[in-house]
Amino acid sequence: MLLLKIAFRNIFRQKRRTVLTGLSMFGGFVMAAVFIGWADGSYNHIIDDFTRHNFGHIQIHEKDYLDRPSLYKTIDDYPRIRSRLEGIGEIDSFAPRVYSAGLASVGEKSAGVRIIGIDPARERSTTAFQKKVAQGEFFPAAPAHRALLGKDLAGMLHAKVGDDIVVVSQGADGSIANDQYPILGLVDSGDPLSDRTSLYLHVRDAQELLVLGGRIHEIAVNIGHLKKVGPTAGVIRREIGHPGLAVDPWQVFARGFYLAMKADMEGMWISLVIIVLIVAIGVLNTVLMSVLERTREYGVLKAVGTKPGQIVQLILTEVNIMAFFSVLLGFGVALALNSILASHGIRLGVEFSYGGMTFDTFKSEINARSFIIPAVTIFVSASLVGLIPALKAARTDAARAMRTH
Amino acid sequence: MSPQDDPIIVTEKLEKTYRDNGVEVPAVRGINLTVHAGEFSAIVGPSGSGKTTLLNVISGLDSPTSGEVWLRGRPLSQMNGRQLSDFRRDHIGFVFQAYNLIPVLTVRENVEYIMMLQGIGKGERRRRVRKMLEQVGLPGMEGRVPPKLSGGQQQRVAIARAMVSRPALILADEPTANLDSETGAGLIDMMRELNRQSGMTFLFSTHDRMVMDKAARVITLKDGRVAEDRQKT
Repeated sequence: MLLLKIAFRNIFRQKRRTVLTGLSMFGGFVMAAVFIGWADGSYNHIIDDFTRHNFGHIQIHEKDYLDRPSLYKTIDDYPRIRSRLEGIGEIDSFAPRVYSAGLASVGEKSAGVRIIGIDPARERSTTAFQKKVAQGEFFPAAPAHRALLGKDLAGMLHAKVGDDIVVVSQGADGSIANDQYPILGLVDSGDPLSDRTSLYLHVRDAQELLVLGGRIHEIAVNIGHLKKVGPTAGVIRREIGHPGLAVDPWQVFARGFYLAMKADMEGMWISLVIIVLIVAIGVLNTVLMSVLERTREYGVLKAVGTKPGQIVQLILTEVNIMAFFSVLLGFGVALALNSILASHGIRLGVEFSYGGMTFDTFKSEINARSFIIPAVTIFVSASLVGLIPALKAARTDAARAMRTH
Repeated sequence: MSPQDDPIIVTEKLEKTYRDNGVEVPAVRGINLTVHAGEFSAIVGPSGSGKTTLLNVISGLDSPTSGEVWLRGRPLSQMNGRQLSDFRRDHIGFVFQAYNLIPVLTVRENVEYIMMLQGIGKGERRRRVRKMLEQVGLPGMEGRVPPKLSGGQQQRVAIARAMVSRPALILADEPTANLDSETGAGLIDMMRELNRQSGMTFLFSTHDRMVMDKAARVITLKDGRVAEDRQKT
């Protein structure tokens, strides 16, 4: 207890130096907390928008479909699964999809296409797909035997809205699937590869073309909050109770996107290194100065029976008391800044596009880790740096120290 | 030589040599000394005669170059740093020329510091501090901090700190050197009285004639050797 008193009172012996050290810890904490909050908010915003409007947060497939997609790897009892999904509260919306490959021709032009069957009503509430229709119209709710084309595919085929497009593929029964569809509209998804290859049909038109009956290949599911993806995938797995189906979070089926985001977020740690350096230099300077000034006192403490470990404890306590108050004050300021940034965000000045999504403002996210990581960083780095002078003081030769002035 | 129970300090062929820029400077040269429990002894001699070095080596604050120190029958050379630290805490009280109080602690906290290290309970600590401060003539000063006290008062606090944990031995290095003669004389009289009351052994270094006159035994050092060891009757 007396050691704690000494540590506490020592802090006020050199007020200016204490303030400077505290400021370096405070500044480091606030910078890190705001930066992490803003980075988390920005990345989660991109991830949520991108997954929500493209893939969905969760997807359901036949177990092996993602590794080796095939016309024959289908979800066979969609009506049963649909009713189960509708009973899960965490789910915002979901949309069934059918996929196949084929050849499309308009006049004398032809190109390989990816046939995508979508349910317009469900897609509208799940991915807002209709907003990507740049020309013409989106599908009506009921099957109308019409097609939508990626805008670049239309360019390659010299096709325009109202033209007829002939699609040839393979039916699930082994037959040659072919049909002709008037072009209802052109899609600008923002993804050049997708716009060059995609041909969209109403899901029931696609099932008819491909002789799939009621079978589908994929169900894209959107949920309320990105962070609940893992637990909700578990709930879905349990509810549909089908061992032949895989329920995967976006990190699995959008692996490339996930890895790109993850690599981008690694940059956040560089800021933490900078903070550690700021804190370390400030603390090292202060504590070294204070140890040098108090060499005689440490000698006396040792002479009267204080153990070296207790002297280390004394100095580290001093450092951590400063860290505690700096972090406490920093928490209040960082929380206020993060709250402002969470409601108003930072405008980028120019629009930023990712995967067809456009962003001009990034907002912060208030979460525990944006405060815990900087706090732990401050305490650990301050303690580690404080350890150097603390050990020096603990090794003080008492007799020699008491001769210093 | 085998140390007896009665002697509190026994030194045998004690040598301490410092190395200063590659030059060996002998500070203590072959001192054989026996101090018995309850003595009130002074080590005297001119500056550089080895008084402080001898006290430091006796207390284990400094290690001898050769020879041995027995304190209460225990050879210091057999103790590691931690054992020495505990031994000093439990058996030796220190009084320094420059008082060496902890400036951020109050008088009471300074005096009870060693008892806290010993794990003595708060109630007992407070009781002993109150009594000790009365004995050294500082009642009611518990809440003051050292920088607000005079030199004499600070040295009284230092004596209280040294004695309150009831060590067997008090080592005092030039305890009156920073005090005026009247204050110094009063302090030595007080130490002598405490020595009589408590039976604690006092060994102090000084070059103050007045202090020497009040000591029961005067050990004179010259060039690191005992030049004279005079017991007063």
